[in-house]
Amino acid sequence: MTTRLGVDVGGTFTDLIFYDEATGETRVAKAPTTPRAPEQGILAAIAAGVPGDRLAAAAYFLHGTTVGLNALLERRGAVVGMLATAGFRDVLEIRRGDRVDMYDLFWRQPEALVPRRLRVPITERLRADGTVHTPIDLDAVRAAAEQFKAEGVTAVAIAFLHAYANGEHELAAAQALRDAGFDGELSLSHKVSGEYREYERTTTTTIDAFVRGRMSNYLERLETALTDQGFDGSSLVTRSGGGAMTFAEAAERPFETIMSGPVAGAEGASEMAQAFGYEQVITADVGGTSFDTCLISNGRPTTLYEGEVVGLPVQTPWVDVRSIGAGGGSIAYVDEGALLRVGPRSAGAEPGPACYGRGGTEATVTDAAFVLGMLADGSLAGGVTLDRDAAERAIAPLAEKLGMSQEEVARGILRIATANMAGAIREITVEQGQDPREAVLMPFGGAGPLFLSLLASELAITQILLPPYAGNFSAWGLLGADLTQTIARTRITALDEAGIAAANAGLAELFSEVAERAAHDGSVREARLDMRYVGQEHSLTVDVEGDDGRISVTPEQLRERFRTEYERTFGLRMDDPVEIVSLRATVRTPLPRRGSAPVAAGSAENGASSSAGIAGTTRAFSFADGEWADFDVVLREQLPVGARVKGPAILVEPTATSYVDRGFAGSVHASGSIVLTTTEA
Amino acid sequence: MATETVVHRAGAGSGAGVVDADPITTEVIRHGLNSAANQMKRALVRTAFSPVIYEVLDFAVAIYDDQVRLLAQAPSLPLFMGTMNYCVEAAVRNVGGPEALVAGDIILYNEPYGTGSHPQDGALVMPVFYEGEIIGYTAIKGHWLDIGGKEPYSTDTVDVFQEGTIFPGLKLYKAGELSDEIYRMALANTRVPKMLAGDLNAEVVGVRTGAQALVGVVERHGLETFRTSVERMFDHGEAVVRAYIEKMPDGVYVGQGEMDNNGVTEDALPFEVVMEVKGSTVRLDYSRAPDAQAGPVNCPIPSTVSASRIAISMLAGSGEPPNEGHFRAIEVVTRPGSMFHPLPPSPVFLYGWPAMQAMEVIYNAVSKAMPDAVTACSAGDICSLVWWGVRERTGEAWADGSPHPCGQGASVRGDGANSLLHVAESATRFSPTEVWETRNPWLLERVELLPDSGGAGRHRGGLGVRMDFQMLEDSYVTAVIERTRNPGWGLEGGEAAGIANRGALRKPDGTRTYFGKATRLLVRKGETLELTCGGGGGYGPPAERDPQAVHADVREGYVTEAKAREQYPHAFER
Repeated sequence: MTTRLGVDVGGTFTDLIFYDEATGETRVAKAPTTPRAPEQGILAAIAAGVPGDRLAAAAYFLHGTTVGLNALLERRGAVVGMLATAGFRDVLEIRRGDRVDMYDLFWRQPEALVPRRLRVPITERLRADGTVHTPIDLDAVRAAAEQFKAEGVTAVAIAFLHAYANGEHELAAAQALRDAGFDGELSLSHKVSGEYREYERTTTTTIDAFVRGRMSNYLERLETALTDQGFDGSSLVTRSGGGAMTFAEAAERPFETIMSGPVAGAEGASEMAQAFGYEQVITADVGGTSFDTCLISNGRPTTLYEGEVVGLPVQTPWVDVRSIGAGGGSIAYVDEGALLRVGPRSAGAEPGPACYGRGGTEATVTDAAFVLGMLADGSLAGGVTLDRDAAERAIAPLAEKLGMSQEEVARGILRIATANMAGAIREITVEQGQDPREAVLMPFGGAGPLFLSLLASELAITQILLPPYAGNFSAWGLLGADLTQTIARTRITALDEAGIAAANAGLAELFSEVAERAAHDGSVREARLDMRYVGQEHSLTVDVEGDDGRISVTPEQLRERFRTEYERTFGLRMDDPVEIVSLRATVRTPLPRRGSAPVAAGSAENGASSSAGIAGTTRAFSFADGEWADFDVVLREQLPVGARVKGPAILVEPTATSYVDRGFAGSVHASGSIVLTTTEA
Repeated sequence: MATETVVHRAGAGSGAGVVDADPITTEVIRHGLNSAANQMKRALVRTAFSPVIYEVLDFAVAIYDDQVRLLAQAPSLPLFMGTMNYCVEAAVRNVGGPEALVAGDIILYNEPYGTGSHPQDGALVMPVFYEGEIIGYTAIKGHWLDIGGKEPYSTDTVDVFQEGTIFPGLKLYKAGELSDEIYRMALANTRVPKMLAGDLNAEVVGVRTGAQALVGVVERHGLETFRTSVERMFDHGEAVVRAYIEKMPDGVYVGQGEMDNNGVTEDALPFEVVMEVKGSTVRLDYSRAPDAQAGPVNCPIPSTVSASRIAISMLAGSGEPPNEGHFRAIEVVTRPGSMFHPLPPSPVFLYGWPAMQAMEVIYNAVSKAMPDAVTACSAGDICSLVWWGVRERTGEAWADGSPHPCGQGASVRGDGANSLLHVAESATRFSPTEVWETRNPWLLERVELLPDSGGAGRHRGGLGVRMDFQMLEDSYVTAVIERTRNPGWGLEGGEAAGIANRGALRKPDGTRTYFGKATRLLVRKGETLELTCGGGGGYGPPAERDPQAVHADVREGYVTEAKAREQYPHAFER
């Protein structure tokens, strides 16, 4: 039995999907997010979506959380102290010297997570190869312990130079702190990351220390609450780098969960891409405030080895989900140069778009879409009815300033928001050597399906996959996660027989370190190598298929694989020698597969007539035609498998509204997804 | 002293408002062009071979239209960014004009008076064709670690021929085919041929990526729409900047500054820039600057204009990547034969240093018109070090170089930022110690904030940085450290920075020799180069600083207690 539930805690709503493998039954629920104690919102969603006795039958609780992210956004975390190599305690502030907003004369770096007085210099020094240059002064560490106790420090980050090459000094310091009676949380830089670049690794270590207590408390409370409700399966959290980890592992490595939320959608999209056999999928996850997009290649999301959050680098695998401030709540305005702009400021959930009638007065994307008829008559999920007058009142001042009609402005708002989103999509495709036109677009999130046709047209994409439960799709994505653990180490090695032997020895060490963290049955080892031309700094990551995490190809074969990958990415083939920079070990433990994606559609017995689900027509602006047209209003839940969907149509479902313009048509797939393609007009 | 002057319009064309392009399509195209420039940047960084490109980001990438008007550029080295149109114009002119170009051509160009830089800053320019017609150009100017010259880096050249090999506009690629002769010629003239080869290839990848992306934008919208939208985009940029200048009170404001010396003599080099604000136009007059110098602190026209462009558009451009229109409200006046308009063969190797000081002088002038529009002065320099040597074990030549961060000036908005690169290089970075020690025979003894280096004030100046480089093998270094005698000025009653920039060489016995500019300094194994990057100036009278902020500074160690008692006695009364 692999009955499971996924709960994705977003900024506004906590989304739940419950999936019973035995019956194939799927249940969806939403509850308001409760930021101070997210487990309350989760329990409410469970109460709404999971019948009393069924929770006990669930084998997995899969969770996407923003607790770590919010701790950073709100700067609510531990009082962190830090031990640093003498002479280097200011690395958090000195950074790399760049201005993130380069055109701002007044720009200042974000405040460090550890104030300067709590960054204690310790006499010790390692060389780049890990050899000891100056032994560690443990008396200084013990003195620091006293200072930390006096200052109320609850977590300590230990980050010494070159610790990625040798962890002994950090371990000795940790032991000395414990011996001196410090009993708070400890984060050691070499355990957090095995890679060089002290600013990035040290910052990541302080992030770990900062969120650790809050994360483990939260997970403990949640686990207890779930147990009280009768749940006795496994509880897992998604990782920023994809896959999931147990609550216990997450409490040990909380920095790996910072991007847990947005990653779930990318994971779900990956599963769909695999099921449909699509090589390239582009996600378009549009919520109230932000647009998140990710490129799925060959069934896997693009993964980076460093992320960034609130201006701080996080040196950990990171699914490359790009976010920009463009969502249903993004506010439109006219700037000093008399051009129309959209976002990144958002009306958020409060007051929300003007048409929500909750006091919003500024025009948003949702207002514009409503004025153009794209939301049909404006009766949304949860009994919300939109206020047309309020939407028009919000748009009127913009129209006056621009000397345009309200309708032209509304169209402009949609087109500009689309252009912004398309720009982000180009960054994750064109810049990676991928042509977006060859990819399948997958829109989801509350406002994603609204942009389905617009984004496809802007990017000349011809195929679209509208997933089931489009508005709750991120929660659905959680259900398919694998248990995943990763570790990486910088170890620069020549690409020859000896180098491959050394790399294999290194990989073996890494895999045994992972096994020490936690061992799971049925796991698979995957090895990857960061490689580059000798003389370069940046590297490309190359997959190494082989026997259980070992390199089994010849140096020539590996070199050729790198060259091919390099040429594909950068369009240039070079004869320069190639070297290995870092080793990356991943242990993946697949959860039992689901039989198939849950079906959201009505059963086939309803009959696949062409008029299925059509509830009427509405007038809406057709961007394809450049004029108003009659759109079918289709109730998505009543569409049987195989039913045809043809634009112009507006598809209404409880969690989202899809705008399907003229020129797009398709049908309901057995999975409940709707597959659309462009048609000749 | 010649009195003839030249007026340069910093932005081409005029926003007469005749263009009636759809404002929405314009915004869509603007995003497309910025995204194209970002693609170029990423391709370059990911494929480059020298840390100066991939860590420091010492380059600029830009896309121009067929009239060489700036369409977009990716965040990179601002001082380069403002010079790129000159590179494109000169490169194209020197190969025989646009008629002489075919698809697939890539021009190599590094003539200093045309690029605005020294010969090490090499540009690649690629014409972009669409349906058989040139629709624009993509260009990259990047710092090469070496292209000949008397040293890998010099502070004492006396003519341009000592500064490096000059490629006065040659087709490195002809219709897509590499010209092997030119390639070999370039590699024969560098001390680090592998790095140069790698970086040239990376720049080729970059200009091609941009060209493809530009064609993509034109294909999506059609050439006619593209052209009218671009005009509208320029007009918009112009309107934004003009709206800002309108707010400045009309008048003539004189900015003052000083360089330590010209690199070959010890005399201080004071100079002025006169800023005249009239309606929505600002004119920056450099004609009172000294005659061209015997040492390499002369700033060729493109960089004089660039310094003016970025100083003003950073204030007035509302935080956006600038395009041609942003520059139209700016006029620059220079005097041929002067420091800011040198003629061949004046040495220009350190062109960036007068350009940086020009920016500070412009901000000084702006502070007299609108003190709240700018910050107090930063330490005013990038305190560059360029290193080279031969590795003991392998016999291989190595080289590295970096700008370094310093304290920033305080402003009406708050304390100055600690440790940022000079605003002329605002998107560049310096390397991590762990990367340095992996590549180079170094042991960094410290990289630390400098307490008491910020100027006192209601808002305190930002702190500078101290970095000590111990050599593990004999190495050479050229240091370019300006403003060693001239700490960042305070604003509105704020005090000047407490510590200015300085270089020192420490022997193992503890004796030190001090320097600012120094060429080919031998640092022996076991000796340490101590680099002090100073603090920023303060804003407002120190007596107005919140006593709690004073005590917090002492507690965190940004200001020593002794210094705090001296500067802020009011915080210790009672």
